[in-house]
Amino acid sequence: MPTITGERSSAGVTPAPPVARRKPRRTPLAARLRRDWPLLAMTLPAAGLLVVFHYIPTLWNAIAFQDYNPYAGAAGSEWVGLGTFQRMLGDPGFWDATVNTLALTGFQLVFFFPIPIALALLLNSVLSRRIRKIMQSIVYLPHFFSWVLVVSFFEQMLGGAGLLAQEMRELGLEPLNIMNNPEGFPLLVTAQAVWMDAGWGMIVFLAALSAINPSLYEAAASDGAGRWRRLWHVTLPGLRPVIVLLLILKLGSALSVGFEQFLLQRDAVGAGAAEVLDTYVYFQGIIVGDLSYGAAAGIFKGVVGLVLILVANRVAHTLGEQGVYSKE
Amino acid sequence: MKRPLTEAAVDRRGFLSLLGVGALATTSGGLLAACGSGGGAGDQGTATQTDKLLQLMPRYQPVELIPPDLPGVGGAPHGYLSYPKNLVQAITETPGTSGKEIAAMAPHWGTVPPALGSNSYYDTVNTRLGVPVKFSLQDGVTYFEKLNTILGAKDVPEVLCIPSWNVAGLAHFSDAVSALFADLTPHLQGDAALNYPMLANLPTKSWLECVWGGKIMAVPYPSDGYPWAFFYRKDIFTELGVAPPTTAQELYDLGKAVTDAKAKRWAFGSIIWEVERLFGSPGSQEGWRKNADGTVVNKIETPEYAAAVEFMTKLFADGLVHPEMMSNTGDAKQLFNSGEMLMTTDGLGGWEGSLATQTAIDPKFDMQPVYPYSHDGTTTPIMRGGGRVVFYNFIRKDLGDDRVKEILRVLNWCGAPYGSQEAELILFGEEGKHFTRGADGTPVKNDLGNTEVAGPYANISGAPPVITPAKYFGQVQSRVDWNNAVTPLQEKDPWEGIRLEIPSKVAALKQPTEDKINDILRGRTALSELETIKKEWLQKGGEEGREFYAKALSDNGR
Repeated sequence: MPTITGERSSAGVTPAPPVARRKPRRTPLAARLRRDWPLLAMTLPAAGLLVVFHYIPTLWNAIAFQDYNPYAGAAGSEWVGLGTFQRMLGDPGFWDATVNTLALTGFQLVFFFPIPIALALLLNSVLSRRIRKIMQSIVYLPHFFSWVLVVSFFEQMLGGAGLLAQEMRELGLEPLNIMNNPEGFPLLVTAQAVWMDAGWGMIVFLAALSAINPSLYEAAASDGAGRWRRLWHVTLPGLRPVIVLLLILKLGSALSVGFEQFLLQRDAVGAGAAEVLDTYVYFQGIIVGDLSYGAAAGIFKGVVGLVLILVANRVAHTLGEQGVYSKE
Repeated sequence: MKRPLTEAAVDRRGFLSLLGVGALATTSGGLLAACGSGGGAGDQGTATQTDKLLQLMPRYQPVELIPPDLPGVGGAPHGYLSYPKNLVQAITETPGTSGKEIAAMAPHWGTVPPALGSNSYYDTVNTRLGVPVKFSLQDGVTYFEKLNTILGAKDVPEVLCIPSWNVAGLAHFSDAVSALFADLTPHLQGDAALNYPMLANLPTKSWLECVWGGKIMAVPYPSDGYPWAFFYRKDIFTELGVAPPTTAQELYDLGKAVTDAKAKRWAFGSIIWEVERLFGSPGSQEGWRKNADGTVVNKIETPEYAAAVEFMTKLFADGLVHPEMMSNTGDAKQLFNSGEMLMTTDGLGGWEGSLATQTAIDPKFDMQPVYPYSHDGTTTPIMRGGGRVVFYNFIRKDLGDDRVKEILRVLNWCGAPYGSQEAELILFGEEGKHFTRGADGTPVKNDLGNTEVAGPYANISGAPPVITPAKYFGQVQSRVDWNNAVTPLQEKDPWEGIRLEIPSKVAALKQPTEDKINDILRGRTALSELETIKKEWLQKGGEEGREFYAKALSDNGR
């Protein structure tokens, strides 16, 4: 950016007032438009989408502060201020769901998040392109299954009338209670998530791996670095920006741990283990037709997510990472 | 759709698939067919005073084209053992006059037939109607979401068919009805209904449920009012040498005797409703009862319910319920058909569906409903009653009188009962083109018929239900006998015909309470917790619920 360097050097010579500093940037609007119009035209559709599908709908969050009735419209509905939020925050069921959600997110962060990375590293070390392709297809295929299918599959395999249980009965053993066990539920849902999505999550890491300069490996190898040292000093540092980025984004959605997966298995393990924020909102907001309640919960989730992203990003910056966006 | 079917969420898929066969003679049990929820402004809930509105009702004038072989007793549907030989033309005049296409939207289960323009069945019926009806058929499974969208957007077709079980979940439905749909009272009240004789043939109980805000707002597709039955596999029972139970203890012993996990056979599937029923736990309005002394109680406060819960915990703990049904991930119908479980709750339409499909796969397959019995075998058993409407058909507002009349004439035509030429055309299409006759005169659809003939004309206006070989094959007698045995035992709903909009505080209480009960049933918490749940329920809105239901009764002088 030559203009800026020029500007700085001139500022260094004479401490000009701020107005003077900004001056060189101010190419007339018309000129800038003439210069940048192709770029602006290119962003227009995306900006339009954002406005129509994000910004305008965001305004409807206002119904969280109303006793909203869709047939009376937002204008005809009564304003209740923070009433809905008070009702929500005063409900122990809401906090149980929040705690469950956070616990599950935490659990998945530890036991799910590293798996795609490990899988990517593993697959990357397979030399045969053919085998690599086949493996890759197999592990990411389940991503395209619906939760109903995945849960039924687990039920067929591990459920009380499933393959494992029948085999154990054949052998005269007492079958394990896997699908109906509230204590083991975090493990079960994480296992399901891993089975379904680890392969999919791996793709972005594979892309990052292929971006690492091979000459770094050669240089490290010729310096006598073994397999583990190369992993530690070349591969992982190469992946670090992507890992941090995904981690931050994951934290941003900490309060959305999933919906169908929990709805489907709710009765099997009880609401105590399986109620997460999204199912809570579904039962207390959508099912009983209380749209304001749903909107309030949405705002709560959004605000908490935003705070988490900002904090995580801050931490990333402090540690010298780029994070989601950089300050410079 | 979601949780009106809650505890038999197991039944959710089964229920939908039974509808898929076009067998619509059922609504889900305990479902508040007559209730919106969510409430209006202030969420205080409302109850219309329908008793005063009896005078609003269309004059009831039954149309009986063919005398039944097996008359239904006490309001139960009639049975016919064979297809009528001489069909009657029920309506002589052509209903359509304007020639202007009528836009209608209805739910559909299964493969959607070819659309208007490439469907000769539609063309044939439309020719008889004198006005084309253009159906937008939407997937019945996700119909609820679709309704939510079009109602919220206030973008409704001229005729909108809404399944009664969808109504309970539609927020502010009363407001939607008055904002979007035409008041049919002037056309149908009292003797005015006689202009539409097939609509005057529909039971008053069904019409009562079509009242919103003191006006007739919809035309009902009537239900026979049997929400569900507890079914058993008679073929396997015979093989094992066991008989259906007549007391709770027998039910338990039976479960013990037939369950064999190693052989992959469990006694019970979805059984919670049945156990509540046989112990006499209240079932009106999802669990309310008016005691003899006039007080209103919820099932959770009654000793009957406590006994039912205790009994069920035993069934679960002893592994008599199919493991997949415990997780509610099981497909009840498939497990029942395959013989992995021997007894389960299903809609009566589920029986029809099985007769249509399963008997072809497994000729020995014999599914029979258990006859009413009570826990001790001496108390008079109760049976659940259900809503009297399967589908509501609404007509859009502001169409003008002439158009509304034309649409009503079309609905009238489509409502022609069993034994009429019209009903045959609607159900089977045109003879020679869509169906041929079997030896006994019963229409059998050919390939074109199977592709093109679908339910929508029948759905937008239904005739009173009848039991016929078309749906029941050789089981007409069994079904009529069961109906006649059950009808006098059906629990009387004190709130019958009163449109209740449950206060949202009370409505929101339902799920958390059910969750906690579920924890007990599945042995995750102790049985003694029931007392705590009850206290919490009373505290968090149960008392308000009681006041609401009691007030609804006193407002209506009951």
